[in-house]
Amino acid sequence: MSSTDPTIKDFEAAIAELESIVKKLEEGDLPLETSLQLYERGVQLSRFCHSRLEEAERRIEVLNERGQLTRSENLKLESDK
Amino acid sequence: MSSLFDQPFEEPRPEPAAAPARAPARRILTVSDLNARIRVLLEEQFIEVWVEGELSNSKVWNKTGHMYFTLKDATAQVRGVMFRSALRTLRFTPQDGLRVIARGRVSVYDQKGEYQLVCEHLEPEGLGALQLAFEQLKQRLQAAGLFDPRRKRPLPALPRKIGVVTSLDGAAVRDIIQVLRRRYPNAHIVIRPTRVQGDGAALDIARAIAAIGRVPEVDVVIVGRGGGSIEDLWAFNEEVVARAIAGCPVPTISAVGHETDVTIADFVADLRAPTPSAAAEMVVARKDDFCAHIDRIAHRVEAAMTARLHRSESRLRALETRSGVMRGQVAARQRSYQSLWRALESFDLRRRLGRVRTRLVAADARLTGASDRSRHRADGRLRATAARLEALSPLAVLGRGYAVCWNADRTAVIRDAARVADGDRVRVTLARGELDCHVIDRSHD
Repeated sequence: MSSTDPTIKDFEAAIAELESIVKKLEEGDLPLETSLQLYERGVQLSRFCHSRLEEAERRIEVLNERGQLTRSENLKLESDK
Repeated sequence: MSSLFDQPFEEPRPEPAAAPARAPARRILTVSDLNARIRVLLEEQFIEVWVEGELSNSKVWNKTGHMYFTLKDATAQVRGVMFRSALRTLRFTPQDGLRVIARGRVSVYDQKGEYQLVCEHLEPEGLGALQLAFEQLKQRLQAAGLFDPRRKRPLPALPRKIGVVTSLDGAAVRDIIQVLRRRYPNAHIVIRPTRVQGDGAALDIARAIAAIGRVPEVDVVIVGRGGGSIEDLWAFNEEVVARAIAGCPVPTISAVGHETDVTIADFVADLRAPTPSAAAEMVVARKDDFCAHIDRIAHRVEAAMTARLHRSESRLRALETRSGVMRGQVAARQRSYQSLWRALESFDLRRRLGRVRTRLVAADARLTGASDRSRHRADGRLRATAARLEALSPLAVLGRGYAVCWNADRTAVIRDAARVADGDRVRVTLARGELDCHVIDRSHD
């Protein structure tokens, strides 16, 4: 799973690394092998970012006084009353 | 009332102290006479006065609609009355604790022998005792360092779960859910309901903040309520709430009342939102931004890489035409170049494209539900990105005669004959169409 890649710390770090990769690729006439390694890492990072963006689950939970979480999708309707 | 007897009611006349007091003629007044005379005296003397003080003991009588009150400062007080006709002209509700400037005249309530201010108009001055309490707490917490800008934590770029501390009965919770749903459809929201006004509300809010900060993966908390009077919002001006916000392990956004309402919670929170809806926007404004940002960078990575390969390709051709002597060197370069192209293809852009298309479909589905301008824009960006990805796909080189060999379920590209066995099924992508093949024999370079 790209989203649990141990070489990627978190979303912020992935974005920062992606930005530095694109700078390096655009700036210098790097050896092909180096370019390719950077490219490979770039694809990996952007996959990670996209998967993190889609990862969160559409869900509403209510935490009660005893610390229990219960799902409550119709909350909006309740509060509309 | 001893003070009335201890001191002369009227200023003593500046008579020479040595002159023997001449006994005045005895004139006996009734109490009514006395009060009437004092009334005339006061009413003539104080036709219009402006008095500044703090309002207290105010009460509007149901029967008459008149308001009775006491106006006081640190050492003195005076009774007052405001008749219904005057009271009706006020734009605000006079409440105890309010510092006011009262305009009126002085009169005497004969039945009780009390003088009082008959108030014709009231203006609030500052906000009285509540405001004072607010300023005192603000100073104390500031001195304790709770408002220090260095304490402010940045919001997570991408919250995993969004914590919300507010009342389930108010408009705030509805506003927050609606905004989050619109701008971040897959948001995971955890709500800790709490009372937000009345006795004990502050403690309730503080406990809720502490509880929600401990829920795993909640990495930002919105705490607030909808608009109301200064008293309604008061819980957010209490120290226990301020301390809870400061002690919250994840960044907090305060969202109390309307844009013009400022509470102590706002000073302590990592970020102040003018309204609950605005707080929701602060949390998720970033998703659209980041989607577009990643797509832009991914596109630039592709473009830079493609340009790099094209540069090599043209150098290679230049070398080829320049010298036959260097043929061996060229052949070596050509081999390495081809292996790089194959590696590039193996990144499987089809699956990435598939993912982008999935998002497009999902975005379309959401669009049918809510026609939102920002979603339209995001959708447009996605389409443009998908088109660019397609244009850049190394699969385009298939047109030049290369083929891509996949494993049977098309999840990986086969680069090494040793990775398949005789009899395995493989799929071969050509410029047009695909082949479903069995491996008959293999050889290694």
